[in-house]
Amino acid sequence: MAAETSTEPTATVHQGFLVLERFRYLKLASLLCVLAIVAYWWHQPASGPGGGTWLGYTLGTIGALLILWLTWLGRRKRKYASRLGTVRGWLSAHVYLGLSLLVIVTLHTGFHFGWNIHTLSYVLMLLVIASGIYGIAVYARYPSLITANRDHGTRDAWLAELDELNEQSLKLADALDTQAHQVIVRSIDRIRIGGGLRAQLFGPREAVRKAFARVEQELGETTSFMASQIRPARGAAAISPDAHSTVMFMAGQLASSTQDNENAQKLLDLIARRRDLTSRINRDIRLHAQMQIWLYVHVPLTFALLAALIAHILSVFIYW
Amino acid sequence: MEDQFKIAVIGSGPAGLSAAAHAAELGLQHVLLEAEAHLSNTIFRYQKGKYVMAEPSILPLRSPVSFGAGKREQILEKWNQETGGLKVNQRLRSEVTALNGSRGDFTIKIADGSIVKAEHVVLAIGMQGNIRKLGCPGEDAEFVQYQLDDPDEYNDETIIVVGAGDAAIENAIALSERNKVIIVNRRDEFDRAKAANNAAVLKAIADGRIQCFYNSGPRKAEDQAERRPRGVLVLNTASGEVHLPCHRVIARLGATPPRKFVESCGVVFPTPDPTSLPAVSGTYESNVPGLHIIGALAGFPLIKQAMNQGYEVVEFILGNKVEPADEPLLRSKFGSLPGFTSVDAALDLVQQRVPVLAPLTRLQLREFLLDSDLRTPQQGQTIFERNDYSDSFYSIVEGQVEIELSAGDRSRTVTLGPGEFFGEMSLISGRRRSATVRAGQGCVLVETPRRSMNKLIYSVPAVKRVVDEAFLRRAILANIAPDAPPETVAQLVSSASVLAYKPGQTLFREGEVGDCLHLIRKGSVTISRHMDGRDVVLAYVPAGQYVGEMALVSNLPRSATATAAVATETIRIEGEAFKALLARMPTVRERVQESYKTRLARNVAALQQPERGGVIGFLMAQGIGEATDVLLIDESLCVRCDQCEKACSNTHGGLSRLNREAGPTYENLHVPTSCRHCEHPHCMKDCPPDAIKRAPNGEVFISDSCIGCGNCQRNCPYGVIQMGVEDKNKPSLWRWMLFGGREPGAADHDHHHHHGGTPKKAAKCDMCKSLPGGPACVRACPTGAARRVSPEQFLRVARKD
Repeated sequence: MAAETSTEPTATVHQGFLVLERFRYLKLASLLCVLAIVAYWWHQPASGPGGGTWLGYTLGTIGALLILWLTWLGRRKRKYASRLGTVRGWLSAHVYLGLSLLVIVTLHTGFHFGWNIHTLSYVLMLLVIASGIYGIAVYARYPSLITANRDHGTRDAWLAELDELNEQSLKLADALDTQAHQVIVRSIDRIRIGGGLRAQLFGPREAVRKAFARVEQELGETTSFMASQIRPARGAAAISPDAHSTVMFMAGQLASSTQDNENAQKLLDLIARRRDLTSRINRDIRLHAQMQIWLYVHVPLTFALLAALIAHILSVFIYW
Repeated sequence: MEDQFKIAVIGSGPAGLSAAAHAAELGLQHVLLEAEAHLSNTIFRYQKGKYVMAEPSILPLRSPVSFGAGKREQILEKWNQETGGLKVNQRLRSEVTALNGSRGDFTIKIADGSIVKAEHVVLAIGMQGNIRKLGCPGEDAEFVQYQLDDPDEYNDETIIVVGAGDAAIENAIALSERNKVIIVNRRDEFDRAKAANNAAVLKAIADGRIQCFYNSGPRKAEDQAERRPRGVLVLNTASGEVHLPCHRVIARLGATPPRKFVESCGVVFPTPDPTSLPAVSGTYESNVPGLHIIGALAGFPLIKQAMNQGYEVVEFILGNKVEPADEPLLRSKFGSLPGFTSVDAALDLVQQRVPVLAPLTRLQLREFLLDSDLRTPQQGQTIFERNDYSDSFYSIVEGQVEIELSAGDRSRTVTLGPGEFFGEMSLISGRRRSATVRAGQGCVLVETPRRSMNKLIYSVPAVKRVVDEAFLRRAILANIAPDAPPETVAQLVSSASVLAYKPGQTLFREGEVGDCLHLIRKGSVTISRHMDGRDVVLAYVPAGQYVGEMALVSNLPRSATATAAVATETIRIEGEAFKALLARMPTVRERVQESYKTRLARNVAALQQPERGGVIGFLMAQGIGEATDVLLIDESLCVRCDQCEKACSNTHGGLSRLNREAGPTYENLHVPTSCRHCEHPHCMKDCPPDAIKRAPNGEVFISDSCIGCGNCQRNCPYGVIQMGVEDKNKPSLWRWMLFGGREPGAADHDHHHHHGGTPKKAAKCDMCKSLPGGPACVRACPTGAARRVSPEQFLRVARKD
């Protein structure tokens, strides 16, 4: 036995649910679709294609059973001790077999649509599938966005740091003067993190950037007033009204000056860090919300679909 | 004042208490000396309401003092009552400062200046050592305490923490949330503490959350019972005396380990290793005649064992023969030994047949065999398989075993006979079994678990030497020169030495002259090269492999740097001896040259992909170098659904052993806080009931005999063990869907805090070994982001046979 060992990290340790087992379920679903299409093309009933022919019943039964089984994913994923396949396998099958419904059920309808419970079921199914496709898209894109935004931090650590920055800036502002202190207190009150559904999905009503621009502007005015008192010769009155450049100007002026100005400079740095953190946290919340929101459409629509499906089947058996 | 006693017992823990109580029961002239103001200080210092377990449950208790599992308060109260009832002659606040003499004439000096004379001394001072006190007047005042159970108990107080170690810093920071905290440091730095604690306390001081007095020490503590706050601590500072009014003083100054004192009594410790314990005879007598050692100091850390020894030692002193409490257990163990007559005869036989056990005292042998199992496998039966993760050690008493050298090839075997041992490879390296072993004819084996064997290795130097030598010889035979004749191997062994490296220490550097070869015996090593101003990691080399042969084969300077990824031990083989071997054995040379070529090619390939080196470097920095199985999350697939945590919690009584979000990330690779099942599990280091085991598939798990002491939680550097109570009721899915309430898999915070007095036990990942099909976290991951892999698998270690 030679002790030769070499090491190479492989990037393929993880295998996503879409590519699982060399697309096993994509192949299965495609096969199902092809069979359905071939049968539909070959089968030419006298009354024309529709749910009432033997093929229609067959496709309908397959479709209904598939829908029930697809719904069962919600149960399987909560049966944590279950040894019946992995959740990843279930999800892979869920995605591809769910997509195959587009073909199977459409052929089942025989392209008969109208203002009735049958077409309602069909439309609900399309909506469920559409929300699912959206889900696949966000699951493919958002995880990397969240990681990039995280930049090695965690939300808890950020919130802790934000608290500390708030505390520090209050202390600094306190040492500066009461007006600056008030500005900071107001700014802390004004920072919004998370919030309701709308805020989570689209960010807080007042953009973080805007909120901080106001803080910086107010603070800039306060400190520029102080600076003008210290060095009236420099003529701080010439400051541009634009908030951002006020801050920059102030920062430049203050950095090279006395004790108080050093504190003001520190305060501006703290505020910049706070702005950065708050944006990050809100972006993190937004990305999470946008990644998960589709489930709140997908699942209720699924239950609506089940109800419509039952009505559709019952009405077929009772009134046909 | 001088008192004369037949027996003086030093230390009033379970062992000493039981000895003194038995002496009192028999009406002997005795004294029980205790340094503290109360009996049984170690248990007294347990936190309030702590549940004390009574392991091992199979061992019967023999002591005049009763003991059963229960709350700390109940146990202490019962002991106080019963020692009072037996009229035990106890002297509290009597710290022994010196002990001289031998059988019949011992002189014991007490801190208060008095002298006690005794014919026999029983030393039962345990391993905790004496707590260092303030060392000034008032150090025992009511407002001065030497421990902190729960920082949340205190609100709006002024608290002075004395000390600059980790315990002091952690206490001060925890208390500063709701109290005014002042920390007193004798020096001007906190650099004795862990880096994280050092940074945290400096930050807290800079932020003004904690006030600090540097270069200061306590001068006196004054208790003013009528004032609020009641205490005043007077400090000597660099700028004079300072009076600090306070509600309490918490002094965390560490403890003095007992070894120095014990050695000053004339007792010899076998090795300088800090875990080494003094050897005692079958009657618990040390090398000093008449000085008996029992309890944790003699290597018996469990309460029940210690209490039994307290009873037995008094009987032995009286010259009575007592059947040891473990006799029936040993008898049932040896009953299956062919030709069994008595336990003593069986012990003689084992000691006579197995040379590695010859240097053991009778007591060590009993303890060793009590932990071990006697095996009589049928001929041809597999004892362990190659690649199993078992780590026990086997000694052959009778018959023989066959070791299969290469996988699946039954023709190439080595036979070991009576008196030899095997299994030391996995014991030392912490890795999978390197060969399959089958029983031969009439085979009788003693199987010893890892902990007992390690204990023996650390306390009996002769055993360590024999095992190390066998390891060296067999490792060279297995890894370097399989067909070499014994004298060639002996030559290599004589040139070899065992070296230990700390994590991050280099074995050799790029550009140095290559003068040796390292066979890694424990831990792992990374190979890196310096390029463009930074180190690029080329490879990870686990235990069982060698590094450094390239320079010897090519006669060029070292082409790369080898660094220990974790605590590592290597066998260093001198370059000359190795080259001589190559010259003499063409087959070895061919193989080494072959491996040299492959390595060279791989290194070139790795250099072309420096980003891969980045991944290895990152993983090594996370301690993956000592992992056997680690949970890795691909964050580009992870949809943050926490299914993994929910699955863990749901399959483990509502207690998740995994924190997905915590832990570092490199590019998209995330290492969550979750057990890595280390090669040498840190958690196993100090488990009193030996409850942490490794299963054949590698999973490190905690068995039901856990006593909830929390040692493993403290010892785990990765923070993956927590103390908690499992909830046997699983939430129902249908009830949740129809009526709401707790969702399956959701964390149960209520239960976590209100567990109705059920004792907390340690909980960690067991890889769902009770469930077929692998860990639930991975099976529950919907997207395939979570995977458990061994580092070798992950780093695709290709072994070329």
